[in-house]
Amino acid sequence: MSRLMPGAEPFYLPSGPVGCLLTHGFTASPQEVRELGEHLADQGHSVLGVRLAGHGTRLEDMARSRWQDWMASVEDGYHWLRGTCETIFAMGLSTGGVLSLLLSRTQELAGVVSMATPIELPPLPAVRLLAPFLRPLGLLFPSYPKGPPDWYEPQAGAARVAYDAYPLRAVPEFALLARRFERALPEIHVPVLLIHSRQDGFIPPSHPERILAHLGSSEKQLAWVDGSNHIITCDAARQQVFALASAFVQRQLKNSPGPQ
Amino acid sequence: MPERARARAEADRMKILVERGEPFLIPGGETGCLLIHGFPGAPEEMRWLGNHLGRQGFTALGIRLFGHATHPKDLIRARKQDWMADVEDGYHILRGACERVILVGLSLGGALALTMASRLPVAGVVAMAAPYRLPSLAERLRPILPALSLVWRYRVPTEPSDWQDKEAEALNVHYPVQPVRAIAEVHDLIACMRASLPQIQAPALLIYSKGDGAVPFEQGNIILEQVGSERKELVLLEHSGHNLPRDAEREQVFDLVAGFARHVEEGTA
Repeated sequence: MSRLMPGAEPFYLPSGPVGCLLTHGFTASPQEVRELGEHLADQGHSVLGVRLAGHGTRLEDMARSRWQDWMASVEDGYHWLRGTCETIFAMGLSTGGVLSLLLSRTQELAGVVSMATPIELPPLPAVRLLAPFLRPLGLLFPSYPKGPPDWYEPQAGAARVAYDAYPLRAVPEFALLARRFERALPEIHVPVLLIHSRQDGFIPPSHPERILAHLGSSEKQLAWVDGSNHIITCDAARQQVFALASAFVQRQLKNSPGPQ
Repeated sequence: MPERARARAEADRMKILVERGEPFLIPGGETGCLLIHGFPGAPEEMRWLGNHLGRQGFTALGIRLFGHATHPKDLIRARKQDWMADVEDGYHILRGACERVILVGLSLGGALALTMASRLPVAGVVAMAAPYRLPSLAERLRPILPALSLVWRYRVPTEPSDWQDKEAEALNVHYPVQPVRAIAEVHDLIACMRASLPQIQAPALLIYSKGDGAVPFEQGNIILEQVGSERKELVLLEHSGHNLPRDAEREQVFDLVAGFARHVEEGTA
C-alpha cells in the first residue's frame, strides 16, 4: 500500500560528475520530467527528479502544503545530488522553473533551464478576480476542477500522472512564490535558458519575455518551440526541448573554466 | 558594500533548510541504507552513521522528514502520511543507485522504518530506540491534541537530558520545541507501526539502550516479539541516551548496523 500515485515516484539516475536536478510543476509529479531525465542520463549526466511536498499523493496533502515546503523539496534534491556531483544544473517546468531559478540564489549552480515558466498567476479571469479571496474560498471549496486537457499529443496527456483538480488553498501559495520570484529576478546571476512554446495555452509568451527582461544574468536566452501546449517536457515538441536542454548543458560545460 | 550585503541577507532568508539541516547522499556499493531521523530532529542525527556506512562500502541516503529542519511551525502541518511518503521517496531515489535497500531509523524514524518495511520490498530493517507506545499521558490526551494545539502550539520538553556525550549533544540539530499537533501524528504513526509489525518479513535488527530516558528499552522486547521476520535480533546498549547513533556508544551502533548490512548483502542475515 503506497502513498505515492503509481508513476509519481521521484527518480535518481546516477552517472557522471555533472548533475541535473529536475523539478516538476504545480499539481504534477516527477513523471512530468522523467523522460527529460532519461534523455540527460543518456548523455552521461547524473539526474535526480524530486517530488515536491504534497504532490503525487492526494489532493488534500497538497492543500496542506506551502510554497516553502516545495522550495525545501528542491533543496533536499540539491543536497542529495551534491553527494556525487561537482557541477549541478537545475531544470524545472512551470512552477518547477520558478523554484529552480530561486534555488540559484542560495546554492551554487552551473546553469538553470526554466521551461514554460510563469511570472505570476495565469491570466484566467476567474483566478484573477478571485485571487484575494482564495484562502477563505479554499475552506469552502477545497478543489477546483481543471479544464479539459488540451494536448498536441493526446497519448502524452493520457500518460500524465497528476492531480485532476487544483487544490484552491495552494493557488495563493503559488501567488506568494511568484511575487518573491519577480522581486528576486534582478538578483539572479546564473546562466539561464528559458524554453517556451509559442502555443502555450496556459502561460502566454509575455511571461517568459518579462522573466528574460528582468533576469540579472548576463548569459540568458529565451528559446521557442512549436507544436506543444504548456507541458513542453511531455507534449509533441518534447524532443526539441530535450535537445535544447542538453545543448545548453554542453555549452556551459565547455565555457566553464573548472573541471570537465 | 551595503547593497550587496543586503542582497546576500535576503538571499539567506530564501534558504528554507536550517544550517546543518540538509539531507545527504553518500555513494557506495549496491546495498543502500536509508537513514531516517527522529522527532523533532534532522538528517544530521544520522550523518555520522551514514559516514561510517559509506566508509564500509555501503550507499547511505539521509532523508529529511516533512516539517523538520526548517521551522517548527511547518511541523504543525505535518501528517503521518507525509512522513510515510518521504520514506517512499527515499526508497525510490536509493533504488536508482542500489540493488537492495535497508531501512534504518531512530525513534520516530525507527517506527517509520518498521512501518514501511511492511509496505516496501526492503532487504532489511534496523530500528533504534523505536517507541511501542507514547507515555500514557500523551496516549490519553490523543483525541484532544488537535483542538488543544489551537491554544497550546508548542510543548517545551522538561525532561532532564539523558545524553552521556555532552559534546555530541551540543552538536545535535533539532527543534527546541515539540508542536503539540505533531505529537498526535507521532501517536498515530506508532499505532500504524504496531499493526504493521506482524507483516514484516525482512531481517530485523533492534537496538535499545538501558540509559534511554525517552523510550524505555523494555518496549523493544514487545516489538521483537511481534515482528513477523524469521531473523530478528535485539541488542541492548548499557549507557547511551535516546540518541543512539550520536551518543557515547555510537561506535558500537555503527558496527552493529554495518555488520547487519553486511549480513543482508551476503544473504546471511
